[in-house]
Amino acid sequence: MVLNIGPQHPSTHGVLRLKVVTDGEIVSDITPIIGYLHRCFEKHCENSTYEQVIPYTDRCDYIASMNNNFGYVVAMEELMEIKVPERVEYIRVIMAELNRIASHLLALGTYGLDVGAFTPFLYMFRDRERILDIFELTCGARLLYNYMWVGGVSHDLPVGFVETVYNFLDYFEPKVQEYNDILTFNKIFIERTADVGVLLPEVAISFGVSGPNLRGSGVKWDIRKDEPYSIYERFDFDVPVGQGLVGTMGDCWDRFYVRVLEMIESTKILRQALKDIPANGDVHQALPKKIRPPKGSIYRRTESPRGDLGYYIISDGSPQPYRLKMRSPAFTALSVLNEISRGWMLSDVIAVLGSLDIVLGEIDR
Amino acid sequence: MTDNQEQLIQEAVEKALQGDMDAVNNIEDRVTRSKAKAALVKAKREAAKTSAEPSSEDKSEESATESKPAPLSLNQKIAGIIASQFPGTVDEESSSETHIQLQPAKWFDVAQYLRDDPACLFDSLQCVTGVDLGEESELEVRYNLHSMTHRHAVEIRIECARNNPKVPSVETVWHIGDWFERETYDMFGIEFEGHRDLRRILLPDDWEGWPLRKDYEVQETYHGIVVPKVKEGWE
Amino acid sequence: MGVFENKFHDNVVIASLDKLLGWARSTSPWFFQFGLACCAIEMMATAASRHDLMRIGMIPRSSPRQADVMIVAGTVTLKMALRVKKLYEQMANPKYVISMGSCATSGGPYWQHGYHVLKGVDLVVPVDVYIPGCPPRPESLIEGLLKLQEKIQSERPLTRKTA
Repeated sequence: MVLNIGPQHPSTHGVLRLKVVTDGEIVSDITPIIGYLHRCFEKHCENSTYEQVIPYTDRCDYIASMNNNFGYVVAMEELMEIKVPERVEYIRVIMAELNRIASHLLALGTYGLDVGAFTPFLYMFRDRERILDIFELTCGARLLYNYMWVGGVSHDLPVGFVETVYNFLDYFEPKVQEYNDILTFNKIFIERTADVGVLLPEVAISFGVSGPNLRGSGVKWDIRKDEPYSIYERFDFDVPVGQGLVGTMGDCWDRFYVRVLEMIESTKILRQALKDIPANGDVHQALPKKIRPPKGSIYRRTESPRGDLGYYIISDGSPQPYRLKMRSPAFTALSVLNEISRGWMLSDVIAVLGSLDIVLGEIDR
Repeated sequence: MTDNQEQLIQEAVEKALQGDMDAVNNIEDRVTRSKAKAALVKAKREAAKTSAEPSSEDKSEESATESKPAPLSLNQKIAGIIASQFPGTVDEESSSETHIQLQPAKWFDVAQYLRDDPACLFDSLQCVTGVDLGEESELEVRYNLHSMTHRHAVEIRIECARNNPKVPSVETVWHIGDWFERETYDMFGIEFEGHRDLRRILLPDDWEGWPLRKDYEVQETYHGIVVPKVKEGWE
Repeated sequence: MGVFENKFHDNVVIASLDKLLGWARSTSPWFFQFGLACCAIEMMATAASRHDLMRIGMIPRSSPRQADVMIVAGTVTLKMALRVKKLYEQMANPKYVISMGSCATSGGPYWQHGYHVLKGVDLVVPVDVYIPGCPPRPESLIEGLLKLQEKIQSERPLTRKTA
């Protein structure tokens, strides 16, 4: 039987259509059909200046927009050989890690919603609102910031920022334990997600999967440690990998638990960054007057909450990019859905889809 | 401009020419800082001119000093390995330190070799980018490969004709090639031979045209809905 | 209703039928969660605990047959536009449409070179309330919904519409 899920459906990942071929209740083949949110991002980039591209990158992966900006800005600064001041580096890392926590909260909350648990969704959104308050304090926007510019950031930190973030961290760290009690080690959740949708490491690498999905299968690969950018080498943090604690290594539960542990690692990075941030510095002093990179191309990857976010930028010396390609981690994560959900039942497909943490804005661009 | 300012700018420019940009960036006054940056650009341009002149005049001296070979970059080493295994596929003139230019004919075999050879072990295809090199030029496909075991990366570029672009498909070598190639086909019209299911992935199946080509013109309507911007006075 | 308070016993209410029907129809519109892109996240945040949508009577429903209001949140692409129309036709009368965000209103930041973007969802469905913003804050969304409630309140469903 051929079943059609979507493109409009109660799950929260976006407009995705799944063509499911089932044999009774067991799924034998899934074809994801995408393109319902194709917003011509690459065409817009070719017709805008390098500064004007930044708001467009925000809107691709709209849940982790700081990290999108970060990736673009790191690639551009490598192409143009600009060195930014220390304070800007610390501000960028703080914003990126806060956004990583917010993105994981949303991913975990909506995963609980998909599997049927409504309460963790509300709790995680309550905590996510506190992070959005911090962002609003700094740059005025809740979701799409246009914050990191090539050579700096748009606004300096306001007065009282460091205290606010410390208060948030003191409030948040015990909450992770609360989430573990409610959801992660909940017997029903474990039965729903353990041993389901096992992703083997070789399959993951061949499909280009990265980020928490790859780490859930036991491969220790994190761009922040393996191809470091910005000032990530200065921080002491661990890279959690899945170990098959309650099931097989590489199942949905492992991918979920890796995200929970990553939130704790982000709080560690935040504490270190807040302690060492230089107190003074002009955040606009390295902004180039006109962005005209030299002719050439660059491919640079950074670690977004979903995996390896890559930007391939070709410049021909003019103020507009000649070609800008964004390699999104969710694109590769979705392509592996067919492999890992064959042979499971229909409701397990929803559990697997939620554990891959996809965002259609990034897939379709 | 006062003498103090001039001196400050000169010192900052000298330090920056040696590689330390902090001296320029730390100048507090915006006007002085921008003057320093302008002076730096001028100084760099002059330095480039003076270093270019002698090399264009005296080529024999240059080739004598270059008899000591510069260390090969990874792209050049891999290009050497490919050229020895598959003679005739590497385009030596267009390859450089940062990329390898290949002929399309044996790309599938080269890809399999790159994935399986113990010195290379490129088990992960990171990014496939289609490029339109210009109205009068051809199309190109660029592959970024990465090895998880050896932790090294190369870039491979393959050019194809504009009128009938065909490149061998590598979707059986790296599974993600399936979707990446469909996307490149969707945006540029490059056909990947050997792909089992080459159809559009992002745009609807009945869309006309290849959007990311430089000479693309938007179609007027799609199923009765007007496509270009609608209201007057939107510029 | 307010003029006649305390004049009669508690179990007698005097109101015009239009006002009564308006009150009944407007205060619990169930919305069809049609979240497409970034605005969907703000819609979810509005429905979460800080800005609670349930206190104004709105519950998210996933089936068009059970919904009164369709909130088009996010960019509508041409591939999706055909489905938007189909889903709108599947909703039962009386139905309303709120266009949330600048993408749904007029194409948003993608108006200029977006060959695959629908420049405004009002090209395929009739819209009642437009909410600007990119993305609109939850307070803006709530104001848009309250405006829709006002609009429903002021409708006169019993009047025979003359040609």
